Amino acid sequence: MSNLEALRDQAKKLLAKGEVRAVIGYRKGSRGMAAEPVVITRPEEAATLVWDPTCFHNLALYLVEDQKRLGKEKQKADKPIAIVAKGCDARAIVVLMQENYFKREDVYILGVSCETTGMVDERKLACLGFGTLQSASFRGDDFVFSTVSGEKRVAASEVLADRCLECRAPFPKVHDVVFGAEKARSLASPFAALLQFEKSKTSIADRWEFWQHQFERCIRCFACRAVCPMCYCEECIVDSTRFVVAPDTTAEEKANRLRWIERSATQSDNMGYHLTRALHLAGRCIDCGECDRVCPVRIPLRLLNTRLEREVRETFGYDPGASVDVASFVSSFRDNDPGNFIR
Amino acid sequence: MPEQSPPYEPKIVAFLCKWCSSAGSDLAGVSRLQYPANATPITVMCSGSVSPQYILSAFKKGADGVLVSGCHIGDCHYMEGNYLARRKIYLVNELLQFIGIEPQRFRMSWVSAAEGAKFAKVIKDFVEDLKPLGPQEKLKGQRP
Repeated sequence: MSNLEALRDQAKKLLAKGEVRAVIGYRKGSRGMAAEPVVITRPEEAATLVWDPTCFHNLALYLVEDQKRLGKEKQKADKPIAIVAKGCDARAIVVLMQENYFKREDVYILGVSCETTGMVDERKLACLGFGTLQSASFRGDDFVFSTVSGEKRVAASEVLADRCLECRAPFPKVHDVVFGAEKARSLASPFAALLQFEKSKTSIADRWEFWQHQFERCIRCFACRAVCPMCYCEECIVDSTRFVVAPDTTAEEKANRLRWIERSATQSDNMGYHLTRALHLAGRCIDCGECDRVCPVRIPLRLLNTRLEREVRETFGYDPGASVDVASFVSSFRDNDPGNFIR
Repeated sequence: MPEQSPPYEPKIVAFLCKWCSSAGSDLAGVSRLQYPANATPITVMCSGSVSPQYILSAFKKGADGVLVSGCHIGDCHYMEGNYLARRKIYLVNELLQFIGIEPQRFRMSWVSAAEGAKFAKVIKDFVEDLKPLGPQEKLKGQRP
């Protein structure tokens, strides 16, 4: 398993030598056992970095935040920023580079391999009834949780997040330095959750009933948008932040401003928002599953994204986040793209 | 007043490429072809410029069916617009069916400027498919 000490040493070395501006990583959080994202800038802080089964956050998000901040302050970074990246985070970084959000030399990737495990799903873990958990750690193919009543060892596959079970590439292929090995594994077939859903909801009416129920619960907290490294638009289609209401803005102007989707949490607008988001992520979503994890009302957003990801992979033969050098999915095409649905 | 209520007349929003399908619909008109008047044409510069947002927005505003029509593959005025549209619209189509929208409600076609008769047929078929489905309520917003 990835050596935490080696990771800390590398982060310390990079900061001490001044090769990077900062290191984005994980540290022990204040919410029970869960790790939290941290940005460290001093070499002595490297000792606070952690790597355990609760490092679920996709840290590529903070590269986006960093670029946005630099843009707002009209600054240019003189040095790269280092980031601890799992397989999925590294794919997200590749997509961002593919879209020219930043360049390869702007980021130093400290890759960590999930090897034969991945990140824990707190909801699955809660079902085991261990009570308050203090920490989690990797041990081979298992996770070890320390609880008030001693250590509990659980096979990782029992409590792994779905996205980790179905993960194709738990090893960050694009990296500057990597901790841990690239190991072959097969925990669940790709799209297992999606296939199970499709098997249980075969008719149009069943699917509609299911999704209607999901979308009417959305409270439009936009956590899915906030946590997604691909949702980097300055102005989201649901917020018209650039529509300035000034003293001389007429009622007519306010009434006629362009509103594709209202912010109000009505079913049709929720649906418009989630469908638009899924389509904007087509060919870009690298299945980090964060939107699904953070949803407070548990809308299975990952199903929508994996549904399109499957089309992108199987119908169009496109592998999101695999290479910086290929054109992005929606800006490219092939002569033999399917057209039999067109009359 | 007739005793039986007339069959439902669906409203169709048709996004037509300026260079072909829009001219195709004109040709259908000047050729005096009879076809249902249910489609509201919206001329766009290219089928590739049709954002999925337009389609969702049309459904939200109460369209019973949405048609996107562009030039045949290889005939795009902008060389590759319809190739990009084909990819994008394919995904929209798949996603709409995945969440449980009837597949008959969304359609894409290639109609050239010379195919007035084909345009009339596309609209006629679409209306016939939509009539039994009745009004589209699933994606319709509370406010227009």
